[in-house]
Amino acid sequence: MPPKFSTGKEKLLGDEDEVLQAVVLADSFNKRFRPLTTRKPRCLLPICNAPLLDWTFESLALAGVQEIFVICRSHSEQVKNAIAYGFFLLFSAEKTYTFASESRWSKPGSGIKIVPIMTAKETFSPGDAMRDIYTRGLVTGDFVLVMGDLVSNVKIDEVVKAHKERRKTNKDAIMTMVVKESGSKHRTRPTGNSSIFVIDPETSECLYYDAVIGYPPKTVANVPREILAEHPEVEIRNDLLDCSIDVCSVEVPSLFQDNFDYLDIRRDFVHGVLTSDLLMKNIYCYVAKEGYAARVQDTKSYQSISKDIISRWTFPLVPDNNHPGGEVYEHRQGNKYIARDGSVVLARTSRIGNNCLIGPSTQVSDDAQIISSVIGRNCVIGAGTLIDNSYVFDGTTIGPGCIVQQSIIGSGVNIRENTRISKGSLVADEVVVGPNAVLEPFQKLSKKRADGDDEDIDSEEEDLEFDEELIKAKLGTDSNAIIWPRDPPDEDEDEEGIENYKNQRFMRLGDDVADLAYSDEGSLSSDEDTDLSDSDSDSDMYPGTLPTSSTTSLTLESSVVAASDAVAVSEFQAEVTQSLERAFAEGHSVDNAAVELKTLRMASNVPLLRVREAVIAAIVEKIEIVEGGGIPQRQEIAKVINRWGPLIDKIGGVDAVETVTLLQSHCAKSKRLPLFPQILVALYQADIVEEVDMRKWHANPASKGEGVAPGPMKDGLRKCWDVGAAILEQLNQQESDSEEESG
Amino acid sequence: MDLGVATSEPVAREFLAVVLAGFGNELVPLTSNHGAEPCPKALVPVGNKPMIDYVLSWIDQSGIKNVLLICPAIHRAAISHHVHSDLPTSFRVDVQTYDESPDGSTGTCTILRHFSSRISEDFVLLSCDFIPPPSLSLHTILDKFRTESGTDGSIATACWFEATLPDKNAIIEDWGSLPPPTPIVWEENTGTLLYIDSADDSDRNSEELELRMSLLSKYPRTKLSRKYQDSHVYVCRRSVLDLVKEKRHFDSFREEFFPWLCKIQYQRVKRERYGRMLIPPNDDGTLSVALNHSTLQNKLHEKPQLQPSAAEPSEPPSPTEADSGIEPASLRIGVVLHQAADGFATRVNTVHSLLDMNRRVLSQTTYSLPVDPKSRSLIDQKAQISSDTIVGDSTQVAERATIKKSVIGKHCVIGKMTKIVGSVLLDHCVVEDGAKLDGCILGRGTKIGAKAEVSRCVTQAGYEVDAGETVKNEKLDVSDWTALDDEDDEDEDDEDEDDEDDDQEEEEGKDESESE
Repeated sequence: MPPKFSTGKEKLLGDEDEVLQAVVLADSFNKRFRPLTTRKPRCLLPICNAPLLDWTFESLALAGVQEIFVICRSHSEQVKNAIAYGFFLLFSAEKTYTFASESRWSKPGSGIKIVPIMTAKETFSPGDAMRDIYTRGLVTGDFVLVMGDLVSNVKIDEVVKAHKERRKTNKDAIMTMVVKESGSKHRTRPTGNSSIFVIDPETSECLYYDAVIGYPPKTVANVPREILAEHPEVEIRNDLLDCSIDVCSVEVPSLFQDNFDYLDIRRDFVHGVLTSDLLMKNIYCYVAKEGYAARVQDTKSYQSISKDIISRWTFPLVPDNNHPGGEVYEHRQGNKYIARDGSVVLARTSRIGNNCLIGPSTQVSDDAQIISSVIGRNCVIGAGTLIDNSYVFDGTTIGPGCIVQQSIIGSGVNIRENTRISKGSLVADEVVVGPNAVLEPFQKLSKKRADGDDEDIDSEEEDLEFDEELIKAKLGTDSNAIIWPRDPPDEDEDEEGIENYKNQRFMRLGDDVADLAYSDEGSLSSDEDTDLSDSDSDSDMYPGTLPTSSTTSLTLESSVVAASDAVAVSEFQAEVTQSLERAFAEGHSVDNAAVELKTLRMASNVPLLRVREAVIAAIVEKIEIVEGGGIPQRQEIAKVINRWGPLIDKIGGVDAVETVTLLQSHCAKSKRLPLFPQILVALYQADIVEEVDMRKWHANPASKGEGVAPGPMKDGLRKCWDVGAAILEQLNQQESDSEEESG
Repeated sequence: MDLGVATSEPVAREFLAVVLAGFGNELVPLTSNHGAEPCPKALVPVGNKPMIDYVLSWIDQSGIKNVLLICPAIHRAAISHHVHSDLPTSFRVDVQTYDESPDGSTGTCTILRHFSSRISEDFVLLSCDFIPPPSLSLHTILDKFRTESGTDGSIATACWFEATLPDKNAIIEDWGSLPPPTPIVWEENTGTLLYIDSADDSDRNSEELELRMSLLSKYPRTKLSRKYQDSHVYVCRRSVLDLVKEKRHFDSFREEFFPWLCKIQYQRVKRERYGRMLIPPNDDGTLSVALNHSTLQNKLHEKPQLQPSAAEPSEPPSPTEADSGIEPASLRIGVVLHQAADGFATRVNTVHSLLDMNRRVLSQTTYSLPVDPKSRSLIDQKAQISSDTIVGDSTQVAERATIKKSVIGKHCVIGKMTKIVGSVLLDHCVVEDGAKLDGCILGRGTKIGAKAEVSRCVTQAGYEVDAGETVKNEKLDVSDWTALDDEDDEDEDDEDEDDEDDDQEEEEGKDESESE
């Protein structure tokens, strides 16, 4: 239940009919812009010299939104101040904020009410933020949900209208996603985080959603067959740019509340709603034919959106008109934008290439070259310096003779003479680099923190170790910077899904991901080979076509992973044995033992097969060998199996064929080999293994010991298999007997 | 139009039509043997015309003059007789046979491999059971293939039609189930068939369709539908046949080979492996060289220089570079989709569709009774025959028989006071006095006893329904042929003497009419 938190406001809203509300999630919930975002939230980073959040507000204002809730988490004070007092220029080392003007948004005439909402630090995902919205009871009707890094000129009001129209006939239409046609290889379409939509072309209902990440490369998209039952003809679209503009109905936050495991809006919520058999809710797509909308979700899209703005895709939101920062630029031929107030100083021999934007009061010295870049306010570009495809924030000084390529330079940075910043580098605010330093590609720098700095600190930043001497040598004698580790793959490998290191590379500025893109094809083809091996006739036709260098590197990695896996597995087996011994000794119930095993499995993340293997091994070893065999032995086996056999099927899945195979392979190497037939029969009698399963096992060539090196193991397997054959034979006879009897 | 006059062919043949006529196991019991005599599927009539006539005349209209008709060896006599005598042949039909037992399933790929030496040019592979809609000509499909194989290296063109499913109520379960729909994925703009959901695929994953990402990234906007059915019309390059020969494990062309062929379009390894085989490099040589020497092409190859200072001095591309820059052949599979709104199409491969197609033929024809006076005189004046009925030649209809919405074959005998509604009677059926038929398909030479009531049944050739019997919703097979052997011989004799019988019948008819 939502608390009666804002009854007054609700009354107010009730009076004004149809107030269009928007919720802006002004936090990225990821760290792709680190270290630029260590002291500033991402939504306040400038793009084309205006903070991202301002672009978002401008986009929403175009759509006629009247009330905006801004959900902020990290650096929330800054966001709040920015909304209240206007966006500040931050370029002095003393951290005094110089306010440009009072915020346009907080003026009474703006017609928009912006309410910053500070959410808890524990809000780790958009899903958490939605739950927060629900508990606070913020929204009262249909609302527009956007991210705080949106640049758009899509007519969202039309989407809202379409959504409301649909709601009149279909109460279950809870959400409309705005997507934009773009083509699969569009520069603004993120390779590392794109999606497949299956849409009914008639109603534009979204029937299926699948997220696609760049690495590990997705090979197949699984479209559920059942959607064809109701929709005989659907469209599969892999060419849509997800704008992350959603028109949601009021029940969307409550759905997040009910399903507390929803984290991401797309991958969890949309996917969950569409695949759920219970919710029975519909989600629709609005395919924007015209207009522009994109999110600055990583450094690569930062670059492409900057370029899109400069090449005027976002019209009417362009630097020379409606610039969200309130500045006025002169639009010159070749999409050059120079601040109009006459404060820019361009030396006569300096060269400004096409598609550039130069902020007010910036000086460009002799022979400096600026190519496809954005320079902030109050910057100084030294003589002979080359700035290529880079983004320089306000108040930065770049000394003479420097080269800056495909990088983002924060505000108040001082790059001393003859420094080279290679592609993909991110230099955080107030860093001093140089002189004569050379940054390696994809280097990340931030300013060393003074002691007693009480601003909220990125916890990871504290952990950074640095060697002052080394930094001095690398970054020049005057540097105050620390070097961030360049994501070592082995450390981040455990991050799954979209945030894994390799996938992040698709989102990195300046990274063309040539090697990964190639291995994508390679792995596809290796998959292909297995496809072909079904057809034995031609698998040996072209033996030498495949392995590429990149695939070999991949296999190397996987072997490393396999080795570490092996350690984990053996540890796990030891633990299972212990826990089972305890269970045997203390006489736990089967259910309790199963729960314990499940927990163990979760903790060590091993496949079910291993659990089964361990359980079967433990049970077999539990059986005591009775001297002389015979009936006492059989009784002993029956006792153990009846007591503990059910555990095999309780550990999380039933696969009797596997059970028999594992039993066989365990017996083959154990001294309880002679007991195999009796155990198998006991399992059969306890209904843990059916006759069909035994037949399947028996039919499998691997059970015969094929593919196993000759030795005692193979002999054991073979013996078991022969015994199995005898048992099956007996069963056959019994069956035919009984048939005869009945017939 | 007498095209037969031109005996010599100055131009090399462009296409060879390969028509496959099988046993028609799906049409059992209509295609079950009539005694020792086979009832080939190709000759099962639709609107009193053997179904193969529809396909053959469709081919004829498209200008293809050479047909390779492949049928089981035991059908050869009947089919060959039909094709060479009954059809007005302006084109050459080469009837070839393969040995096969009806139950042993020799796949279409096997057959193609066997006859590959006889196919020396691009070919059109058809099935004898496709009834093409009047609005769709084979020409359309051929033209699409011609254009695309010439311009971007398409290897085949298929044709799918929107299937109109019969009403749930109309389906008689005992007649066998309808084949499940086959979902396909295609790109609409270029008409490219990308994925056919084969039976193997649905076995492997019955919950989900597995679409390769390489498909989706190469063709980002595609459609997926289960509305369409394969018409089994494939226009293929000759080189496709080489591939059929190589991939020996494929059995069915439609169910296995073609879905696999679609995958070559977007799977890199398959492209590399089979691309050269499907389109030999010298094949498109002349055109592309010409294109390279055009000024337009050079401009296209120049990459826009975004960073003039950083880039190396640009050189004009050398001819060799330009050559290597040619887009590789697309190996595309074109598809022509025929919408239901533009005319009904079907494959007569189930008993349901046979009945359905017959009814549709009826709704389109205004012609009902035989025109020639001799046959006409056999139909009693007092018989009520509605205009949406076709009655074949030499069929005798007695007085006060009522026939509605039905197709009556040749040489049938319809007794007095009979009532036939919505049924299809093949040739030589006998319906005795007072019998009632509703929604039935009677195989050749079926006998319905007096006052029997049969509704929604399908019978094997030579089946006899006893007088007064009532049968509903069944497939009626002649269960034990050995027991009927004697009668059988008689039957055959009867057939030999058909003409005489006819004469007698005519006489009888005359007698009757005279007596009135």
